[in-house]
Amino acid sequence: MVTPALLHAALWIGLPIIAAVYLAFTSYDVLTAPRFVGLANFRDMLDDAMFRKSIVNTVIYTFFTVPFGMLLGLLLALALDRGLRARGVFRTAIFLPQVTATVAIALVWLWIYNPRNGLFNTLLGLFGIEGPAWLASTSWAMPSVILVGIWQGIGMKMLIYLAALQNLPKDLYEAASVDGASPVRQFFSITLPLLKPATFFVLITSLISAFQSFDQIYILTDGGPAGSTTMMTYEIYKSAFREFRVGYACAQSLVLFVLLMGFTLVNRRIMGGTRGHD
Amino acid sequence: MATTDTRRPPAPGRIALYVTLSLVALLMVVPFLWMIVTSLKTPAEIASADTSLLPTHWAFGNYADALRAAPFATYARNSFVIAASHTVLNVVFASMAGYALARIRFRGSEFLFYCFVAALMIPTYTKVLPEFLIVRFMPLAGGNDLFGQGGSGWLDTWWALIVPGAITPFAVFLFRQFYLDLPVELEEAARLDGLGEFRIYARIMTPQVKPALTTVALLTFESSWNNFLWPLLVTRTDSLRVIQVGLSVFKTENGTQWHFLMAGTTLATLPMVLLFLVGQRYFVQGFAHTGLK
Repeated sequence: MVTPALLHAALWIGLPIIAAVYLAFTSYDVLTAPRFVGLANFRDMLDDAMFRKSIVNTVIYTFFTVPFGMLLGLLLALALDRGLRARGVFRTAIFLPQVTATVAIALVWLWIYNPRNGLFNTLLGLFGIEGPAWLASTSWAMPSVILVGIWQGIGMKMLIYLAALQNLPKDLYEAASVDGASPVRQFFSITLPLLKPATFFVLITSLISAFQSFDQIYILTDGGPAGSTTMMTYEIYKSAFREFRVGYACAQSLVLFVLLMGFTLVNRRIMGGTRGHD
Repeated sequence: MATTDTRRPPAPGRIALYVTLSLVALLMVVPFLWMIVTSLKTPAEIASADTSLLPTHWAFGNYADALRAAPFATYARNSFVIAASHTVLNVVFASMAGYALARIRFRGSEFLFYCFVAALMIPTYTKVLPEFLIVRFMPLAGGNDLFGQGGSGWLDTWWALIVPGAITPFAVFLFRQFYLDLPVELEEAARLDGLGEFRIYARIMTPQVKPALTTVALLTFESSWNNFLWPLLVTRTDSLRVIQVGLSVFKTENGTQWHFLMAGTTLATLPMVLLFLVGQRYFVQGFAHTGLK
């Protein structure tokens, strides 16, 4: 019974990984057979200023979207965990961007950032301020993309924190209140330590998805202006499908793979066995 | 879950909390409202310098015109066919695999489980290039010979759009967790009644994991409908385009027609919003389990 899923995974996940590792050591343009070139692709990567820039950009994007998103997600989860009325409405509104296609969302933000008649510059215009060209400006493009990333990702982080908060043992808080611990004290000495597994879980899954951002870059900036928003995934896409350097693209994708694997292993090491079964 | 304070007059702190949350919720929804509002404005109004936030003239005709300007209906149909196929295939095959890994002892079952866990960790961007090559060089398809040469393989076919993404390791993993939680007695009773393994799976155990079926079905449909990169890579012809790719192409070719673009985007977004509102409980459960999108 496991056979269909197994064959499917072998063909569409197992084989591709083996192929990616092999092709990373070749020069391959799809039209002619791959030619073994040893480590040449990896050497080329060292000289590829755009790829280096994409790594830096990916790290910057992740550095801003993940911690800020997590902080906001935690604050919202704490607010929603207090038995409010209309809690479901708030939760739905905050989670909505998460179930919507990134392409659709990016198109809406592209229009919001439109320098002439977009929402931002229209609102700024009401105060007599002339807004920047947002996505077309080398200094504003990355912050603009980061804002979209935070906005879209907040719902998931809030949701995981909310689920974790609802599983916290209530009797600890009662005991702490009896002992006269203030709510702030309770938060820092009970809630935060107990949320540690959830925090690591959110951190790792957010890192993995932030490192693989692509759709919003494709729609919003095409990696520009002047490479100021290009990401590793975007460079992989460009190498393979615009320059037809498939071997080189595979080598780049292995670098991404190793980085993501690193996150997962570090997580495993720090988390130990704290996450229940499996 | 605290249920205090509901009958007492609201404290100032509580009011501040409501106000803050309302503001946040508003910020989260504003882009969606702006999308809908724009889709109902006339091009003249969008382009005018002193544009107001709400349309002065509600142009509901934009939607009919947008459907004529680009085959958005075809794109949406394609997305629907693919998402529905993925949903059915994933629910059927991943539940079978999840069941076998959870309940049947066979040689190497644990090893197989770890294979699926490993597959779960492979980033999309590492496997997508070779996947594309497999599709391109699919033997005996699209004019290819036995060695995958000479034609275009599965490129620009329904096969390429449906088959590679049909079964996800994530669904196998989720199903396994749900089947693990079922009591042994159920299974033993069925076995005493002489039921075969497949019938135990189909008749006895699977009806017990209905929430898992719904969760996997909804998450599969959602991620398939929202998928962009893969359909972008494997299709060229307009008739096979999915809605997300269709929108991005429309943006490139008619970048200034914001009223049509936002109408199309609204059409692409609406089904998922509705699906989420209806099945919120299952989405929440599934996402909280995985945190993966």
